[in-house]
Amino acid sequence: MSLHDFFIEPFTFEFMRRGLLSAILLSLSGGLLGCILVLRRLALMGDALSHSLLPGVAIAYALFGPSTSALFFGALLAGLLTAVGSALLSRLTRVKEDAAFGSLFIIFFALGVAVVSTLQSRVDLMHFLFGNILGVSSTDLQLAALASATTLAVFVVFYRPILLETFDPIFLRATGGRGGLVHVGILCLTVLNLIAALQAMGIVLSLGLFLLPAVTAYLWCDRLARMLVLSVILAITGSVLGILGSYHLGLASGASIVLSLGVFFLFSAVFSPRYGLGALLLQKLRAGKVVLRETP
Amino acid sequence: MSHPVHDIIRCSHVTVRYGARLALDDVSASIPCGTATAILGPNGAGKSTLLRTLLGWHNIENRGEIRIGETHAQHLLPRLAYLPQRHTIDWDFPITVRAVVAQGRYPSLRPWQRLRPSDHAAIERALGELGIHDLADRQIRMLSGGQQQRVFLARALAQGADIFLLDEPFAGLDLYATEELTHILRSWVAQGRTVLAAVHDLALARAHFSHGLLLNTQLVASGLIADVLTDTLIDDAFRGGRCLHDHANPLRSVTTTEFPS
Repeated sequence: MSLHDFFIEPFTFEFMRRGLLSAILLSLSGGLLGCILVLRRLALMGDALSHSLLPGVAIAYALFGPSTSALFFGALLAGLLTAVGSALLSRLTRVKEDAAFGSLFIIFFALGVAVVSTLQSRVDLMHFLFGNILGVSSTDLQLAALASATTLAVFVVFYRPILLETFDPIFLRATGGRGGLVHVGILCLTVLNLIAALQAMGIVLSLGLFLLPAVTAYLWCDRLARMLVLSVILAITGSVLGILGSYHLGLASGASIVLSLGVFFLFSAVFSPRYGLGALLLQKLRAGKVVLRETP
Repeated sequence: MSHPVHDIIRCSHVTVRYGARLALDDVSASIPCGTATAILGPNGAGKSTLLRTLLGWHNIENRGEIRIGETHAQHLLPRLAYLPQRHTIDWDFPITVRAVVAQGRYPSLRPWQRLRPSDHAAIERALGELGIHDLADRQIRMLSGGQQQRVFLARALAQGADIFLLDEPFAGLDLYATEELTHILRSWVAQGRTVLAAVHDLALARAHFSHGLLLNTQLVASGLIADVLTDTLIDDAFRGGRCLHDHANPLRSVTTTEFPS
């Protein structure tokens, strides 16, 4: 197979071009948001949150059909209910935050599955859960562009409040910053991007596009700005490779993207010169803490 | 020659609740300008809560209020610098020393405004004053405990504040770093700055702070450190004036011990 066959030929199809564009747009915003989620230790929370969106999406779909704004507000409502509900539960009862969140999201997810199973249309559960990047419509593309542009603009304008809220929220509030607003803003952006990624990646896999590039970049960078840029670059590269893999090998598109991002992450976790397992082992060897073979 | 010291911070009837738990109960106290005041008390006495309330982090109940100079605390946030507890910071965060110190300038800038030359000057000055100029490009994990502390002190300086609120600044510092920190705080007070710190170690407070504020949810005492840290008052704050031996052995502990001969 020539290079042309591998890289160019797939994109002679309209649906492949649309899928590619959608993936690149989502990588832009997902790469940025993922960094904040990783640094705030919200990775698992984000995953739970994405699952809890399902009933909102499904009910909005049942009532209004595939209207983008209805889907968005349905998902936002479901996400906020989960977030606020678990915050209330953990504050008012002895149940801790993680258990509260875990319980609520699985209830919401089950509710979503139940609602989807009653929908009498061509939509099936698999589509909601795993998406299909080759079925991206022009409305989906518009939503992805909107989500991406909004996220990018927010990061450019409010980079400093976002940095402070992530690094030292007490300092932000102590100096008169609106920490709560930044926090809710990040949450809304996350939901917006999860919805935009729904068609391409599905509810279960979309967070992979956010988290994996970010956590990979985290293994390489010591400055937030560089980490953000690297994360976006990795997200885009991973998506392109994933789509190509999906085309040539006939893999499910979402899984293919997440897997190629996963390869980046696992590679970095072992070979990152400062924070990888290899570097750690080398350090220990030099320090003499691990001895492979006794010299006679 | 002494002159009447005026009070820079005045709390009156400050009550703060976390849900059902009372964290501060009707605390009224004043902090004199240009002094080092230690907030003392047992765990859960409300030391950190008092500091955060000064920053407007917690709502004050009913008629309580906090005034800084002549105005309410919220209006004077730029004058207040806050030093977080060490364990609240993620030391693996991808950020350099200089970038942390630069955060001190953010409150005086619009979110998207670039740093002005005067801001850069303030950052360099703060780095210089705390002797961390050479470390400016390091990631914050690659510093010793004392150096990490100085990074956040430099951020407070860069902020241009003159009232410094420190939450357990001595926690987790070794002997040398503690010595260094007290030296820095002393020189700040000598320059007319006001330092207010939650301190765990009574001996340390006695040695390095001029004033004290003893808390046990309620105010137990405040004033000159020697007047605050008397045996009776310490006993009041830390044991509520009770003595274990007054009661008929409440823990039912074994009181006799036999040593094998």
